[in-house]
Amino acid sequence: MAATNNMLNFEERPSWGSRSVECFEKLEQIGEGTYGQVYMAKEKRTGEIVALKKIRMDNEKEGFPITAIREIRILKKLQHENVIKLKEIVTSPENNKYKGSIYMVFEYMDHDLTGLADRPGLRFTVPQIKCYMKQLLTGLHYCHVNQVLHRDIKGSNLLIDNEGNLKLADFGLARSFSNDINANLTNRVITLWYRPPELLLGATKYGPAVDMWSVGCIFAELLYGKPILPGKNEPEQLNKIFELCGTPDELTWPGVSKIPWYNKFKPARPMKKRIRDLFRHFDRHALDLLEKMLVLDPAQRIPAKDALDAEYFWNDPLPCDPKSLPKYESSHEFQTKKKRQQQRQNEEIAKRQKLQHPQQHARLPPIQQTGGQSHAQHWNGPGHQMNNSQMAVTGAPSHHQYGKPRGPPAGPSRYPPGGAAGGYYQDRGGQSSGYSSAPYPSQGRGPPPYPGNTAPSNGPRGAAGGYGGAPPNNYSQSGQYGGRGPNPMGGGGNRNQQYGWQQ
Amino acid sequence: MAANFWTSSHYKQLLDPEEVDVVFPVDKERGITVEDAKLIKFYMTNYIVKLAQYVKVRQRVVATAITYMRRVFTRRSMTDYNPRLVAPTCLYLAAKAEESTVQARLLVFYIKKIQNTEEKYKYEIKEILEMEMKILEALNYYLVVYHPYRALSQLLQDAGMSDSTQQTWGLVNDTYKMDLILVHPPHLIALACIYIASVQKEKENTAWFEELRVDMNVVKNIAMEILDFYDSHKLMTDDRINAAMNKLPG
Repeated sequence: MAATNNMLNFEERPSWGSRSVECFEKLEQIGEGTYGQVYMAKEKRTGEIVALKKIRMDNEKEGFPITAIREIRILKKLQHENVIKLKEIVTSPENNKYKGSIYMVFEYMDHDLTGLADRPGLRFTVPQIKCYMKQLLTGLHYCHVNQVLHRDIKGSNLLIDNEGNLKLADFGLARSFSNDINANLTNRVITLWYRPPELLLGATKYGPAVDMWSVGCIFAELLYGKPILPGKNEPEQLNKIFELCGTPDELTWPGVSKIPWYNKFKPARPMKKRIRDLFRHFDRHALDLLEKMLVLDPAQRIPAKDALDAEYFWNDPLPCDPKSLPKYESSHEFQTKKKRQQQRQNEEIAKRQKLQHPQQHARLPPIQQTGGQSHAQHWNGPGHQMNNSQMAVTGAPSHHQYGKPRGPPAGPSRYPPGGAAGGYYQDRGGQSSGYSSAPYPSQGRGPPPYPGNTAPSNGPRGAAGGYGGAPPNNYSQSGQYGGRGPNPMGGGGNRNQQYGWQQ
Repeated sequence: MAANFWTSSHYKQLLDPEEVDVVFPVDKERGITVEDAKLIKFYMTNYIVKLAQYVKVRQRVVATAITYMRRVFTRRSMTDYNPRLVAPTCLYLAAKAEESTVQARLLVFYIKKIQNTEEKYKYEIKEILEMEMKILEALNYYLVVYHPYRALSQLLQDAGMSDSTQQTWGLVNDTYKMDLILVHPPHLIALACIYIASVQKEKENTAWFEELRVDMNVVKNIAMEILDFYDSHKLMTDDRINAAMNKLPG
């Protein structure tokens, strides 16, 4: 093969090929994804701020990762104001093409929905919730019309800029589908808490309705203030769904008994639908819409287009104009994490002092009043790597949330072997969010510490997902408050599984 | 892949015939002519088809792979991008893009099996993966390709010609032996194939074509191109192909 000439383009816009990443100045890392890091960067020539998502190419036995191919292929096809824009792809000049790095260049977004919702003291107004929901549905409708299933709709994948625009991001799990749903698709998608019953029951033929279930979960979460279906593993997730939506039968969901794992997971006793009961304080139109989204039978679940026509969006208070929304200080998981690390170190010092004064120990530690954020680190599974030096103290009972004497011990040993809460695919990816994508769908932000969702409602739900996406980890399932605030130190250990699930 | 062709990168990237028949200066220096390039691409198309039969992928993967290869050679020289490596790599990439992944080692295995004596075709996994990156770049990461097949069955049904499915399908397959897919929208290629089929079957379809409100001149021109290709096909002898292939670097 003839030697190739230098193909890196430093010009403004080559007619073909890719520019070099040198066209951008990396400002700071804002996340850690499965592919690699995500950076906030400035285009040198224009000064425009962008997000650079690295696609790691080393250690790939099969060349360019198929997850990246899917994402690029789909993003190149989708052009919509509510879908994240892939601006271009640039290459790193350091190495040769095969070993070098590839970066996806995205428009920069300030927040993600989860991060925003978790801001201490922040409460969304009704017009604001309507505004976000409307944009979410508009973007999703566009995807579905273009025959793309997102398959990982969750708060941390909904990016929001300071103009109030919401955009769907992280298409690393997305798939094209054809209307003749003959292809078998994997049911191992969508973060557990947002995963629809048909996937939990093992369906391999499915369509846009899977995304609509996730939308329903997010909608309820926005109104309720916390995740509504925080299952620890797949059977429990299904059970939580049945507790809320009732148990399915052939009458309410024709064909349900033929879904692969129906008999395995068939509920022991029939349960009634309790959506209206549990969420009775929701406004009438919101409840009407929610009920249509959280329909067990995917065939009867409301499509995005019809949801946009719901009374909810056309009754007072109307959805507000995105531009009228307040501007928030930019927050990214990675940045807030730094702050939290600092905060935690202070806490550790405080705790050490407390240990020396055991009589104070039963009291509510002052740090726990500082709001949830600070805890996320402790209970964030992968965080233990950083905690090593502090193990002696992190193991102390003073750590327990709200001073309760029970709860798992801290430190790595607190994770039960095999991650009991990890469900069937506990080795699947941890958090993925924002621009990055895990090879496996993550299974949630970590279950609440106590069964039955009695977690303190203001419990920390981790940091903003933002651009980052956590490295996959084995612990986030069992981490007490794990999950949402992925830990960049955890390292992407699961990349070799990238090919495991796809079909 | 459905979605909307008219907003797709495929539509935006449709080329004029002159842009397709480009011969790069480095190739010219080797004595490669426009005709040689056509012969080489024709031969490589057949190579992809043959390879695809071994690795067992769907027709649309084959069609996408051939389209990638033909696109690459509108932007890159055959001297720098050896067609013997580009062709299998395009199949490898198309398989990924069309969700029918083929393992690189399997591909390499079958390449060796098909070309057991030909040293020039022997490539290692590493070389395929390196070329994959370069092809992705050459394609500017635009991987979505629309094909005539989807429109074909609908149009045939509508025209009441479902019995000609096999014949027209074969015609469409043959269009990939030329650069039509880079120049014309896929549904017009499908129509041109239907047009040829109806002429051959002596089926009177004028009214149906008129109702479609497409430019029949374009359809007829595409049909003529296809028929011209069939004529010239007889002249694509092994000798001529070998002569062209020998102008490539080893």
